[in-house]
Amino acid sequence: MEVIFWMIIQVIVIAFAAPFFDGIARVLRARLQSRKGPPDFFQTYRDIIKLYKRGRTAPKCAHWFFTYAPYFMYATGAAMLACIPIAYSGYESIGFSDIFILVYLGALLKFVFGVASVDSGNPFAAVGGSREQMIGVFVEPVLIMSLLVVMLVAGTSNLVDIRAMVRAGEIGYFIPAFAVASISFLWAMYVESGRNPYDLAEAEQELQEGVLGEWSGSDFGIAHAALILKQFAMIGMFLAIFEPWNFTNPILALAVFLVKAGVFYVAAVFIDNFGSRYKLISSFRQNATFALGISTVALILYIVGA
Amino acid sequence: MIQVYLLFLAGCIISMFLYKQNETAAKVGFTISAVASFYGVIYFFTNLGSTSEFSLGNDFIFNPHFALDPVGNFFSFVICLVAFASSVYAIQYSQEYAKKGSLAVMAALFNLFIVSMLLVISAANVFWFMIFWEVMTVVSYFLICFNDSKQSMKATIIYMGIAHLGGAAILSAFLLLANQSGSLEFASFANAELSPAMATAIFLLAFVGFGSKAGMFPMHVWLPKAHPAAPSNVSALMSGVMIKVAIFGILKFCIWLPVMPWWGLLIIIIGALSALLGVLYALTQHDYKALLAYHSVENIGIILLGIGTGVYGMATGSSTLAAVGFLGGLFHVLNHATFKGLLFLGAGSVLYRTHTKDMEVLGGLAKKMPYTAFAFLVGSMAITAIPPLNGFVSEWVTYQAMIQGALGEGIGSRAVFTISVVALALVGALAIMCFVKVYSVIFGGTPRNQKIWDNAREVPTSMIAGMFILVAGCFAFGLGANVVVEHIMSVVSSFAGNFSAADGMLVKSPMGSIISTPLIAFILLGSLIMPFITLYVVKANRAKPRETDPWACGFKYSSRMQMTAAPFTGDLRKVLKWLYKPEIHHEEGYFGPVKYSNHAQDVWWNLLYAPVINTITKASDKIEKMQNGNSNLYSLYILVALCLALGISQIL
Repeated sequence: MEVIFWMIIQVIVIAFAAPFFDGIARVLRARLQSRKGPPDFFQTYRDIIKLYKRGRTAPKCAHWFFTYAPYFMYATGAAMLACIPIAYSGYESIGFSDIFILVYLGALLKFVFGVASVDSGNPFAAVGGSREQMIGVFVEPVLIMSLLVVMLVAGTSNLVDIRAMVRAGEIGYFIPAFAVASISFLWAMYVESGRNPYDLAEAEQELQEGVLGEWSGSDFGIAHAALILKQFAMIGMFLAIFEPWNFTNPILALAVFLVKAGVFYVAAVFIDNFGSRYKLISSFRQNATFALGISTVALILYIVGA
Repeated sequence: MIQVYLLFLAGCIISMFLYKQNETAAKVGFTISAVASFYGVIYFFTNLGSTSEFSLGNDFIFNPHFALDPVGNFFSFVICLVAFASSVYAIQYSQEYAKKGSLAVMAALFNLFIVSMLLVISAANVFWFMIFWEVMTVVSYFLICFNDSKQSMKATIIYMGIAHLGGAAILSAFLLLANQSGSLEFASFANAELSPAMATAIFLLAFVGFGSKAGMFPMHVWLPKAHPAAPSNVSALMSGVMIKVAIFGILKFCIWLPVMPWWGLLIIIIGALSALLGVLYALTQHDYKALLAYHSVENIGIILLGIGTGVYGMATGSSTLAAVGFLGGLFHVLNHATFKGLLFLGAGSVLYRTHTKDMEVLGGLAKKMPYTAFAFLVGSMAITAIPPLNGFVSEWVTYQAMIQGALGEGIGSRAVFTISVVALALVGALAIMCFVKVYSVIFGGTPRNQKIWDNAREVPTSMIAGMFILVAGCFAFGLGANVVVEHIMSVVSSFAGNFSAADGMLVKSPMGSIISTPLIAFILLGSLIMPFITLYVVKANRAKPRETDPWACGFKYSSRMQMTAAPFTGDLRKVLKWLYKPEIHHEEGYFGPVKYSNHAQDVWWNLLYAPVINTITKASDKIEKMQNGNSNLYSLYILVALCLALGISQIL
């Protein structure tokens, strides 16, 4: 029960703090582009609240799946966050913190996203949806190979145990396969969090905000918040496995996690601001092949016993 | 168990007696099969762990002896489960065929098909196994013929051809084994003294033979042609359970024979290839029933991954690895039967109301057929292994088994296991793309053909009931995974190792990983409340949305602007050009409209089957010259044959 209590606290705290880091990132991005940008770090909160107050439109053709998709997405993003042992890392797993659950919840999010994009009837949204699926196909082998190496080194897919092992120093960067896997996982994490230069699905003007095009008002606000949650979940996954040093006290752990995840989130601005967007089946593909190469090296290192 | 078989036989005979009353025959026949399979579901579930047997007429042709052990009970349960849903569905669905053929015959054949599968499972000697194996093949052939068209005839011929090759391989495997053990009874097989070479030969023959029926790569070519050609209630049975009977055969041989580690690895490699190629070809299909059939190839691959891990565990003497591997494989057998049955029934409902198998002309059907859409959505989510539905749990167990296999020593086995895990994950990503496409193109968006959409409406009650039986199965086997795992473990422990995979609400792996599907469902539902609470607290504007056309950059929206199935996978097909080798057609002519079509091909057909078929056709063209109608020549043939026979007998 305690685990569930801390799970809830953890999700709520991160859900409410996440837009703040988005605000910091936006201010920083504006400065880097010599724009004035938002006045302070709370702009994303104001945006979402403004969206909540607006009226909504919906395409005639869409059925209930499209209408509730933002809520499904939000629920999945929140469940992904709940899956990562942050505040409850001191407790035994109760059957939710498993790497495969996290990966397949990500799949659920993609499924909802994809179906909603085609269901909206909007041509641009569906193109975005298709690309989002394609990105998933590129990233999945890299993601799973890196995680597989971790699971093999740890001998379990239990996220709580893996985290404890890394923190106790039983496994870690002194194992070459683990160290190399952390590099390829970092790439996969960055792509999965949907930032430039890989954010094809949410390409802006030319694709009319891509997949999100047809939602408006509070639905759009929820969808927007869901995507921020997903980014934090992906960063959280990296931190839980590859950088788990943290307090056992739940509240302190949560605070430290927020700072660490926030640093990653904001630092990503330095990448997404300077890269141009990649074309899916040329530059993106080359990039993915390179990352696949790194993760294959990690896997080979494990296979030969290094 | 004999009562179950007799009920099906009664259904078969009674519906034939009602031959004159076509529609009544269908109602009665399918109701009896529904009752029989419902009874079967309960019977086989309650007697899962027990063994039972019966014999008919002592020493009448090869001693008809039938026996069920826990493995047999498990497979019989799976057959009855899908048969139940499919029979309930067929009560009204079969009316579609009232003008095309005799429904009495259809119902009779349907009953016979189910009972032949059940008897294959329970046959206890080679003769009766092969008899019912062939009955199963032939009856399914007749059932496909109800959709009488040029394509389905071609499909059935290919099906029969490969089924016969497979049958020959299975029979040779059986006869070799019987020769070594000295008896045709299955009971004697376990004690046969086999040299490793002989055991390998028998295994390979059985693997190829049963694999051809299971639709495993590269013998899969018949499956995507034959399964979609059948009426949908039969497709559900063929894809849901008939191919599982072949898995049962592979499993039986692995239990009888002294297994070797490399057999396990071979099964895993073939499984990974089937899974990957199955889903890749599924992605290029526009015919939704063919797409589902390709997904059967994929899922047979996933089942083989589990079974292969189990065989590897058995061969290396690691009983927990064997137990987890077989648990994953058998659990996926049950799950695939459930959701593939469901998806084929759903596809049948769409076909019933739209009369087209091409998804490019469908769209927006969720508004017309809400129950069908919901059932199909659940099936899609289950097959893409989305937690907490059933597909996720069996894939999770399979992952755990393969990772445990990869933890072992030996570079070869580590490489095979790890690459297969990556293949399975990639299959997962591709399957999501595929089912997003199927579901959203058929049920979402705007109608692509207004006339079809206008005529569509929800299907009759019995068809909905049939689908929702399996929807309930998808939820129950997912949320009640701990109970299912416990029962399947009792089956697995009857022939392989044992370990306690269920602990309270949890499902455990020997590596210490645990999942709890009710908890996943609880957390997902709990987090679903979160956005609603937020909206309530901030007093969001929840006025009813204004309904408009989708935004089309200021142009007038037309339904032709929206995404269809082909471009949805366009990028993937570009990336995989080397595999698909698409046939690209341009319509020439200066004034004519430019038509462009791009069809991916199943290259294995051209690579492996077309040359053989061409050679045979050419050879028969040559031989044809011998048959020229000249009776003098024929007497010469007889004379030559006689001389040859004499000559041979002289030499011997």
